[in-house]
Amino acid sequence: MGIAATIPAPQSALQSAAGQGSEKRSLEPILQTENLWKLYHAGKVEVPALRGVNFAVQPGESVAVMGPSGCGKSSLLYVIGGLAQASRGKVLVDGNDLTEMRDSERTKLRRSKIGFVFQRFNLLPTLTARGNIAIAQYIHGDGFDPHRFAVVTKMLGLEGRLAHKPSEMSGGEQQRVAIARAIINEPKILLADEPTGNLDTKNSEIVLEMLRRLNKDLGQTVVMITHNPEATVYFDRVVHMRDGVIVDGVPAD
Amino acid sequence: MMGELIFRNLVHRPARTFIGILAISVEVALVVLIVGLTSGLLTETAKRIEGIGADIMLQPPGASYILGFSNAPMPIKIADKLRELKYVQAVAPTLLQFNSTGGVEVVYGIDPESFREVTGGFVFLSGHDMQAPDDVLVDDWAARAKHLKVGDTYNLFNNNWHVAGIVEHGKGSRVFVPITTLQDLIGAHDKASIFFVKCTRPEHAEDVMEDMRKPDNFPGYTVRPLKDLLSLMTSTNIPGLQVFIDAMIALAVSIGLLVIFLTMYTTVIERTRDIGVLKSLGANPPFIIRALLMESALLCLAGIAGGVALSYGVRAAFIAGFPTLSILITPGWVIRAGLIALFGTIVGASYPAWVASRKDAVEALTFD
Repeated sequence: MGIAATIPAPQSALQSAAGQGSEKRSLEPILQTENLWKLYHAGKVEVPALRGVNFAVQPGESVAVMGPSGCGKSSLLYVIGGLAQASRGKVLVDGNDLTEMRDSERTKLRRSKIGFVFQRFNLLPTLTARGNIAIAQYIHGDGFDPHRFAVVTKMLGLEGRLAHKPSEMSGGEQQRVAIARAIINEPKILLADEPTGNLDTKNSEIVLEMLRRLNKDLGQTVVMITHNPEATVYFDRVVHMRDGVIVDGVPAD
Repeated sequence: MMGELIFRNLVHRPARTFIGILAISVEVALVVLIVGLTSGLLTETAKRIEGIGADIMLQPPGASYILGFSNAPMPIKIADKLRELKYVQAVAPTLLQFNSTGGVEVVYGIDPESFREVTGGFVFLSGHDMQAPDDVLVDDWAARAKHLKVGDTYNLFNNNWHVAGIVEHGKGSRVFVPITTLQDLIGAHDKASIFFVKCTRPEHAEDVMEDMRKPDNFPGYTVRPLKDLLSLMTSTNIPGLQVFIDAMIALAVSIGLLVIFLTMYTTVIERTRDIGVLKSLGANPPFIIRALLMESALLCLAGIAGGVALSYGVRAAFIAGFPTLSILITPGWVIRAGLIALFGTIVGASYPAWVASRKDAVEALTFD
C-alpha cells in the first residue's frame, strides 16, 4: 500500500473533527441541494447541466458521485463549492444558503469551509510544495501555522518533497500536495473532482486510501466525483447521475 | 507569502521580466537624461557667464538672456559712455557669434585688455594670450572635444585661426577671438553684442543699473545683473522648452505604460488557470488585483534601479564622446522619474489586473 499504509495516527488537534463528525451524522446535513438547476448558455441555446437535483451529505460522510461524461457531475461540484452560481434552487453549505449570497460572500465561505482537489492537480507551478500549501493558509487569513503545516505534511508523507516544485514531482506526489493544500485549513467539506483521473493505478489507490483515511480517522466530509467504478469502494455512499439528474441505483456507462 | 509568489512569478519568465525591466529602465533614463541635458546645458551656460566676474550686462532692447540667440549689435562706443558712470570699474565690449559647424557654440569676440579688467584674466593651461589678429583661445573642455592644442589651426567662420592658448573653462564662452577680426568677418564694424560691466563693489550694481536706465543714458536697453542669470536659466523661463520636456516625459511614460500593459496582459492570459486556482482557494478579486499590481510594482522598482544606472552610464558615455556636454542628474529628478515610472506601471497594469480579478473561476480552472 506504500505511503498510505505508513500514514501515522493523526494528531489530537485534528482528531476533534472526527468526534464531532460522528455526532453530527444524525443531525442537519452539512451539504444540501434542493431542486438545483444549473443552466449554461451556448449562444442563444440554453443547456441545462443540472435539472432539479436534490442531494444531501451528512457531516463526516464520504460520497462518490458517478456518471458518464456530461452528466453534470462537475457542475454539481462547482455549484456546491461556490465556484459557480446556481440558476435555480437552493444550495445549503453548513447552514449557509449559497444562492442568497453575493460572489464575495461565497468566496469568503469557500475560503473557510471548502477544500478542493482537482483532476489536474492545479498546483501553482512557480511555487514549491511548501509554497503551494502555505498559500492556502495565507489566503485563509490566519497566517502560516507551522504546527498544522507539519501535521498535514507528515500525514500525507510529503516531508521530503516540500522544497520541490510541481515539475519535479510525480503525479501522485502532486496530488498529495493538492490534498494537503485542500485540508490545511480544516474545511468542513472536501470536494474532489476526479482526483485519480490523471494517475496510474498504484497512485490512484494511494490517493483514494488517503481520502478514506481523512474521512474515517478525522471525520472529514468528502464528496468525490468520478467515472471510475473501482474508486467507489472507498466511499460510504455512491450516487449516480445521468443527464443532469440523480438516478440512484442506475449503473454508470 | 505574497512576496514569495510575486518573486517566483517574475523569475519563472526571465525573458519577459527582463523586457519589462528594460522598458522601465529606458523610460526612467529617458526622463532623467532629457531633463538632465536641458538643465545641465542651461546651468553650465549660466555658470560660465557668471564666471566672467562682471556685475551687470547691457544688451540691446528686448534681447534674450540666452546669449548668442539675439544678434543685434550695438555701437562699441557705448563702452566709453559706460565707463563714465559712477561706480563703474571696467567695461568689456563683447561680440557674440553663434557657430553651428562642428558643434553648437557661441564664440566671443573680445578685447583682451578690457576683458581681462572685467574677468581678472584667463588661467592659461598652455600657450599665451591673443597677440595676432588670427589668434584664438580655446577652453580646456572644447580643446579636448575638438582635439586642439597650442599651435594647431582651427577653421571657424571660414577663417583659419591659430590656437594661441588653452585656458581654464568657465569664463563665458569656450572660444575667444579678437573682437576686431570677428567684426570684419561678420561685417559688424565697431559693433558689440553685449557689454559686461564690473562695478567698483558688487553692492553698487543696483545704483549703476539705475543710472544706466536713465533717459540720458541707455533707456530701453536690457540691463541685467549677472547674479540673477542662474535663476533665469530654467526650462520654465525658456519659451517652448518646458513643453518639449513635458512631451518627452509623456513619451517616456507611454513607452513604459504600454510595455507593462502588454507584459501583464500576457501574464494574465498565461496564468488564467493559476488565477482560477487562487479563486478556488478563496482569493477574492482585491487579492488577485493586489498580487498583479505588486508584481508590476516590483518589476518597476527593478526598472527604476536599472534606469538610474543606465542614466549614469549614458551620461558617462556622452561626456567621454562630447566633453563639452553637460548632463545634470539630480536626486530630485531621479525620484520624480521613478514616481512617474511607478505611476505609468500601475496604470498600465490596472486593466490586466482588473481582467484577472473578473475571470470566472470555473472557466479559468479548465483553461488550457
